[in-house]
Amino acid sequence: METYIKKFISDVENTLQTLPIKEIARAINVIHATYERDGRIYIFGNGGSLALATHWVSDFNKTVFSHNLEKQTRRFQAIRLPSTEEELSAWANDVGYEMVFAGPLSNYIQENDCVIAISSSGNSTNIIQAVELAQKHNVAVIGLSGFDGGALNQLAEVKICVKTEKGRYSIVEGIHAMILHLITQYFQDYFDHATRSS
Amino acid sequence: MILVRAPLRISFVGGGTDLPDFYNRYPGRVLSATINKYVYVVINESPLMDRLTAKYSKTESVSHPSYFEHPSIREALLYLGITRKGIEIGSFADLPSKTGLGSSSSFAVALLKGLHALLLKKMSAEEAARAACHLEIELLKEPIGKQDQYAAAYGGFNVFQFNTDATVAVSPVFLDYKKKSLLEEHLLLFFTGITRAASSILSEQRKKIDTHFETYKKMSDSVPDFEKLLLDGNVRDLGDMLHTGWLAKKSLSEGISNEVLDSLYTASRRGGAWGGKVLGAGGGGCLLVFAPPLCHREIRKNVNYVAERKELRGFREIPVQFVQAGSGVLLNNHQQVSSFLSHRTYGNIHQKIYQ
Repeated sequence: METYIKKFISDVENTLQTLPIKEIARAINVIHATYERDGRIYIFGNGGSLALATHWVSDFNKTVFSHNLEKQTRRFQAIRLPSTEEELSAWANDVGYEMVFAGPLSNYIQENDCVIAISSSGNSTNIIQAVELAQKHNVAVIGLSGFDGGALNQLAEVKICVKTEKGRYSIVEGIHAMILHLITQYFQDYFDHATRSS
Repeated sequence: MILVRAPLRISFVGGGTDLPDFYNRYPGRVLSATINKYVYVVINESPLMDRLTAKYSKTESVSHPSYFEHPSIREALLYLGITRKGIEIGSFADLPSKTGLGSSSSFAVALLKGLHALLLKKMSAEEAARAACHLEIELLKEPIGKQDQYAAAYGGFNVFQFNTDATVAVSPVFLDYKKKSLLEEHLLLFFTGITRAASSILSEQRKKIDTHFETYKKMSDSVPDFEKLLLDGNVRDLGDMLHTGWLAKKSLSEGISNEVLDSLYTASRRGGAWGGKVLGAGGGGCLLVFAPPLCHREIRKNVNYVAERKELRGFREIPVQFVQAGSGVLLNNHQQVSSFLSHRTYGNIHQKIYQ
């Protein structure tokens, strides 16, 4: 058992060493620029990645400012898409599953926004549809992918690929969660610092 | 209505190497950062009006864009084939023009983004930067370089490399918030109150590029070193490099500095500044001072004393912060209005009303 656990940890450690640091920095810059322009951040994924998206939105919209909620009246506007299960099922049932993200995204998207698309394979059709829609609007896409990155890593402006052998969802999703937490932590520290020095 | 804004910039090192006379022979490099001071362009369509208007420090009303006196508004409209009446263009800015913060190129970027939005087209940062370069350099024949258009379009801390094949490579400098605020704490920015058009100094400077080729080369090659110091947060050496850079830049052409600017710079050094420079082409505009925070009081006292003696009435300090976002469309309801009006029923009504 211990050997099994150690092997898993060592796989995670090895994968962490290959993370594209500059691309994560680029993602932080894209989100910062979106904040300055008062734009919105849309985030989505399938299955476990949708859970990551929802978790991140709740952290990002509130936890970032939790030390100074009253001082920071202008906060982040991160939105998980689709924002309700009803929208998800309506698009899936009436139009097709490939439109569950692009459909709701087309209602919201404005030039100053940005998009975080999460797909371990990088090849989910519904994710790629939404990414292509964002790009038609010249909206920056941060792509969180895994394995070999797939189409998402090719298309996205910010290419965060957690490189593993195909099918290692556990490692990819776990590290995606860590990267999303890193982004939240960065902005929490940043706004704490900015509030202290103002 | 369409509202677009584009940030102004502080250029730290490499200015002048973005001129074609240099980068045609050796890659030019500039490191700059955008600040929280903006140029705003408003574009409105008012179909009942039978004139085109431009509102900036002057107000113009013409029957055809070719009659506009404002050079970039005129050429941009003509180039894009926007000649229909009822177009109103207004310009606003947080700071006056000709301050050495790249405002004319920020204006060009914002204007072109806005006019493209009017044509229902969206522009990427690269497209906006290229279009603004085309407008200012090719169409208006300004003797300027390309750094300001790129800075305004992309936003943030960047190294721009101007390649001999006329392409521009953009590499962001990834500074975290601690490094950015460390820089902000060391910077002082003073508007001298002297405004000047960059073109007269740059025309003069361009004639002498051959003579000073080795200096330009050194300036371009110093950019990666400056970038490394920024990433290390080594403020002391950054200050020294700014000082060396300013001395080199001053030697390139006579108009870059003058007696007043030299006195202000010397006064800041006497107060404890490590380095600094006159921003933009030179001859006036803004003075950037890089100094330990403890010396800021003394420096302010010293430069204000010089400013008073030299009767610089517009002299004042401008507090700045760095910003990440490049030019952006802040408001665009033109798209909704035009699709609403192009609806068949409303289209007919629209035609009847506005015929």
